[in-house]
Parts: sequence; structure tokens; C-alpha cells
Amino acid sequence: MRWPIRRALTVALGAALVAASACSDDDEGVPVDGAGGGGDFVAAISAQPDQLDPHQTTAYASFQVLENVYDTLVVPDPEDLTFEPALATEWETSDDGLTWTFTLRDDVTFHDGSEFDADDVVYTFRRIIDDELQNAYRFATVSDITAPDATTVEFELSEPTPNLLDHVGSYKGVAILPEGAADDLDLATEANGTGPFTLASSTASGITLEAFDDYWGDGPEVGSVEFQFISEPTTALTALETGEVHWTDNIPPQRVEELEGGSGVTVETVPSVDYWYMATNFAVPPFDQAEVREAIALALDREAIADAAQFGLATVNQTAIPEDSFWYHDYAPYERDVDAAQQLLDDAGVSDVTMGLMVTDEYPETVEVAQVIAANLGEIGITVDIQTEQFSTWLDRQGQGDFDAFMLGWLGNLDPYGYYHSQHICDGENNYQGYCDPETDQLLDDAATEEDEDARKQLYDEAAERIVDANSYIYLYNPSVVQGWGEDVEGYEIRADRAINFETVSLS
Amino acid sequence: MTRYLVRRLGQAVVVLFGVSVAVFSIIHLVPGDPVRLALGTRFNQQTYDALVARAGLDDPLIAQYVNWLGNAVRGDLGVSFRSGQPVTDLILERLPATMSLALAAIVVALLIALPLGLVSALRPRSAVDYVATFASQAGLSIPDFWLAIVAILLFSLTLGWLPSSGYVPLTDDPVEWARHLVLPAVVVGTVSGAILTRFVRSSALEALSQDYTRTARAKGLPARTVINRHVLRNALVPVITVTGIQLAYLLSGVVVVEVVFAWQGLGQLALQAVETRDYPLLQGAVLLFAVFFLVVNLIVDLIYAVVDPRISHR
Repeated sequence: MRWPIRRALTVALGAALVAASACSDDDEGVPVDGAGGGGDFVAAISAQPDQLDPHQTTAYASFQVLENVYDTLVVPDPEDLTFEPALATEWETSDDGLTWTFTLRDDVTFHDGSEFDADDVVYTFRRIIDDELQNAYRFATVSDITAPDATTVEFELSEPTPNLLDHVGSYKGVAILPEGAADDLDLATEANGTGPFTLASSTASGITLEAFDDYWGDGPEVGSVEFQFISEPTTALTALETGEVHWTDNIPPQRVEELEGGSGVTVETVPSVDYWYMATNFAVPPFDQAEVREAIALALDREAIADAAQFGLATVNQTAIPEDSFWYHDYAPYERDVDAAQQLLDDAGVSDVTMGLMVTDEYPETVEVAQVIAANLGEIGITVDIQTEQFSTWLDRQGQGDFDAFMLGWLGNLDPYGYYHSQHICDGENNYQGYCDPETDQLLDDAATEEDEDARKQLYDEAAERIVDANSYIYLYNPSVVQGWGEDVEGYEIRADRAINFETVSLS
Repeated sequence: MTRYLVRRLGQAVVVLFGVSVAVFSIIHLVPGDPVRLALGTRFNQQTYDALVARAGLDDPLIAQYVNWLGNAVRGDLGVSFRSGQPVTDLILERLPATMSLALAAIVVALLIALPLGLVSALRPRSAVDYVATFASQAGLSIPDFWLAIVAILLFSLTLGWLPSSGYVPLTDDPVEWARHLVLPAVVVGTVSGAILTRFVRSSALEALSQDYTRTARAKGLPARTVINRHVLRNALVPVITVTGIQLAYLLSGVVVVEVVFAWQGLGQLALQAVETRDYPLLQGAVLLFAVFFLVVNLIVDLIYAVVDPRISHR
């Protein structure tokens, strides 16, 4: 039986087109007008900020935006990550180390035109401490904050706190808000800072900042910065290559080498301040034995691990702090030696070990690296059971001590206190592995209050050696920061602390 | 008709209540502590306790539910843990993007499925039929994220015809809205179209083999009249049902394609809510998805009555 087709098709297409014409929508848009100046800069970041209150968010995406909107008292120097002036021009410490006096700039205005003074600083830190916000722990030794005059702020401390600059300036989580901001504004969606850009609009499809004319610094050069949220690296890179965006940090690591060979975009990498490590549970036999932990440390092929993690972009490190930092300590006692590792296990009388290794798809590199670890440890007769968990479950299990071993990273630390203290001190809040050594405790406690920088570094170096020797953490590598930008972008500086600042960027 | 609508609305309220109870129970049974997640790796007991108290998570579950329900019936779905913004704002902000994509994708799907399915049915076991069957099988088998990436690399990077990603509101710039919509809509529509093609073909084949079609031909009606009046109308009823289900499914977000095209729709929002255990946001999103299914089903039922006079809603 044959049927005529033409008419049937017309009807079918007609039906579809009726559906098409019925398809409209009623969205409300936020018109974006460029503020002139040096053009409209577009950056693709990999996630949407969860909220814009600098004191409440923990998301990196939020800080990528906030970096350009807010200021802190001091900021990390891009070269060696020591602290340099920002809203504070100078600071001094009393002889007993218990009073820090900051002198503030007197030429700073907030985006709404109000003037910045010492009361804003007091308000900011009082808010963090009194409301028990994310960063309250940083100010545990602060007993009082006062403003003797408009350009002076004094921190009274209960004990010497040599890393106070880190606490008041390592990132925009301690950004200075105008007095009363939490009552006057919905800080989750609104902003009033002193930074180079003002928050113009924030929607699900993007955030737009505009140049702040009365900014106290030199910039900004561009008229506006638009952040787009592109979580798929292939898409973000394509958008960069087609010129739809000027900058992105979401570049597939396996394509970096090819892109560095000249391709119309500039790609740069720099070892970051982050580190990734593996830890075993000191409360679970046989990992309570130092020999077993040492055998694991000896059996690991760190080069292969770093390759698996970031396609050769990561830097192997047997301590936490990266090479470029002032606080780096060159200590690498473990060279891969399968026979010696096997010997250690035999001497300890340990065989037929199964080790559950907890990783999370929240950080896919832990899943990749776990394969290498499993292969390495298989060579010395340790069977690795890779347990890939959702991050929430992962954290629950970590908190309950329900694991043999896990792999994770610490991100964004600058001061050795952040790198080592709460992770390795006996009753430390982040000492999930259960390492406890009185001598390490003593070193870490002394270092926390040591005022002399060199003496302080000496103490941390010693503590780090003890931590590495005992394999409290088995340190693996420092990943690289990978960022790319178009050929028309000038003046951008890639940073080890992953802060992205478009103050000095211009478009040609 | 009015009575029918009132009855359906009554049922909808009961279903929504059931959904809200189920969702609330399930998300609290799933392991994972939203506050612990928000703090990330850096744990501090004092901060933790303060956040738990602020989010009201230290109340008994029943009290939390009753409190949430009380606010929900007044249109207040609560405040997202993670972003501190009202859940209704977060959802409404993303609704236009999701509606644009879902409706455009359904149009693409119908444009593919209706002609292809009908031609296959009218010419069974012909070359066209084999090609259509193969194409719909392929459309079902190819992963949508792969199709999406290939589409971006071809049409955006290599040819430079279309933007690679992002959503522009229709009210901002209709031309840009359409340009950004083409690739995701075609990718999503191809997958849905592959499913629909098979339904169109089988229901058209069935209508063609019915007694009334034979009778219509036997009494000498022209072939086009037989197809338009007898075959098409009857074949459309099951197709409308499946199209409705597809549409409701697309309205609840197509996560993978949204991620690849950086399309800020409800799918990504719901996914983030699950990942961060953002209870209020997740509850609000699932409730909205339930509403989509109820509304689409209601509309489908009403269209039945138009297409098929034997069905009436007394």
C-alpha cells in the first residue's frame, strides 16, 4: 500500500510550526551598559558565585569576583606572597607583641561615596568575630579592636600572633565593609567596597562590574568586567579561542602544552600555594605502625601521581609549602624504593593488608590519583580498595574517623600556621588522621607565637621534618594555576594564590 | 468542564503535598551535612554550631517540616543555605532560560519526529524507513554531552557561525537570544526527536491498519483525506502524551547539556542543590518540577478532548 507523502508532511510541519510560534517567554533581563573607558572585559570562570557576602561565602568563584570589588588592610605581594600595604599604609608591633597598630589611608572612598575610616575596620572585624562567621577562628587571639583616631586601628592580642597580617589580608574573606553594611545592604547580592570595580549587576547568567572612578589605586583600565560562568573546560576554551571571552582559568590541562606553542591565546602556569596529600588513619591497624606508613611513602611514584593529577603540570613536593614561598623547606627523604618498602612491611610482620582509600568526585584528581596509588601499593602487597564518595559523605566519614586512608588537598594557605598547625597538633580541629607527637606540638606552639621571622621559619622547618618523617600526611604535589587570555589582553598577572585581579588589565 | 478542572486541581494539591513529604524525608535521609559541606575542609566547632543554629537545623525534623510547609503555602519557599537568597528568586531567575530551551527543543524534536515518523509509517520497509529507524536509533544512542561538544567545536570554533555558550534573555536582545539558543536546542531536540520519531511511526502504522482507515479507503475517499482526517488525528493522541512527558522532563532541566553550553537553567541549580545539600533550594526545585508535570499533564488531557471528540471531560 502506498500513501501520498507531500500533504501529510505539510500538515506535520504545520503542527510543529504552530508549536514554534506559541513558544515565547517572558524573562526579565538586566541591560548591561559598558562604562566606556578601556572597553568591556569578559572573563569566564568555572562556577557561579554562591553569594557575594565576603565574610560568609566559602566558594572560590565568589572570591574571583570579590577580589575586584573589595579591599583588605594588606595584600599578598604577587611575587613572593609576603604582605604589602593596601588600605593600611604601615603597621607596627609593640615590644611585647600584644598590640598591633595599623595606619590607614586617608584618601579612600566606598563605592557609594562615603569615606573610609577606622570605624569601618573595627566594624568589619567585630562582625566576623561577634557573628561567629567563617573566619572568626583567625581572630581567636584578638581580645580587642579599637579606633583611637580616624586613620589608626589597634589590635589588642591575648598572646603574640606573628601571622596577624595573614589573618587580616591573605584573601578577600576578610574584606573591609563600610560600617553598618550588613544592616544597610543585602550583602549576599549587593556590594559596597573600596576596590577598583563596583558591582553593577548579578544574575544567573553573569556578573557585571563597572570601573570605579574614585578608586584610590592606579586602575582600573577597562570600563567594565563581565564574569560568565562556564563549567565545561572545552566550552570555556572554545569561547576564549573564538574571542567571546578575554580570559579564563577553566582550561583542560591536557591541552596546555599544545596551546603554549602559539595558538592565538596566551596560556601561563605557575605552581600554586595549594597542596595535595594522602593520610592514613593512626587509629586503624596496621597504619598505626610507623613502618607501615613509611613503606607506603616509599612505594609511591610521585612523578606518576603528579602526571595523573594534572597532565604533568603539577610539581612534586614532599612537604606542604611550594618552592617559591619564603617558607619553603627543601626536605625530600623519600625516594621510590619498592624493595625497601617491602622489607619494612616484612620486618613489621605485616602482610595481606587491604587499605580503603577514600576519594571524592568533587575533586576528580583524587579519583585519578587513587588509581596510581593503588597500582604502586599493589607492588608491595597492599590491596587498595578505592572508595569514591560524594563530598558530603566523604566529609562525614572523615569527621567520624571512618576510614583507613584518604586523599585531599588544602587550598589557599600562605602562612605556615595555616599549612601545618590545626592539621598536625594533637587535638587539632583538622587532625583527622590522629597524629600526636608532643615534640611536634611544642614546635608548632612555639612557632605560632615566635615574632622573629627567621626563628619562626626554623621552628616550622623542624616541625615539618617530624611530620614528614612520621608520615602524618604523605605529601604528594603542588598543582599549578592554569590561566589563559586572548592576544588583545595586556597587563594581566597570574598569581600563585589564585587571586585574579583585573585592576591592571587593559584591552588593545 | 469546570467540575473536571476543580477535581484535577484538588488532586494536584494532594499530589504536591505527597511530593513535599517524600522529598523532605528523602533529602534528610541521604547522608551529608549541609553545614559541614559549606565549611569545606576547614572545620571549626564554634562556627559550625553557629551556622546550624542560624539555618534552624537544630530543630526536630517534624518542626522543620511544619515550619517549611507553613511558609510554602504562603508562597515563601525559604532561603537557600548556600547563597542566602530566597529560593523563589533563585528559581524564577533561571526559569526563562529553562523555558526557552525546553520549548525550543520540543519544537526541534517535533520538526524532526513528525515528518520522519510519518514518512516511515507511510512507506514501511522502504529506504526512507530504514534511514529514519537508523537515525532515531543513533539519536538515542549518542550521548548528548558528546553531541554538544562536537556541535560547539564545529559550529562555533571551526565555522564561527554561532556563539559557543551562554544565555541571553529574550527581552535583552531577541537576535542574540536566538543565536545562543540554536545549538543547545538542536542538541536536546535531536535526542527528544529520536524518541518521538519512534512513537509517531508506530502510532501512525497502527492507525493505518485500523478498520476505519480501511473503510474510509473502501468508500472511495481520496488518500489525502484519509490521511489527514482519519490517520493523522488518531495517530496524534499517543504522540501528544509522549510529547507532554518529554516537555515536562525538559522543563525540569537537562543538566548535562546545560553544563556544556553554560546554560544557567534549573537543571544546574537542582544539581548544585543536591551536591551542597541545600535543603530549602532542593525542596523548592523538586516541588516546581512536580508542578510542571501536573500542569503539562492537565494541558495534554485538555488537548485530547480537542483532538479526539470521543474523549470528553464531564
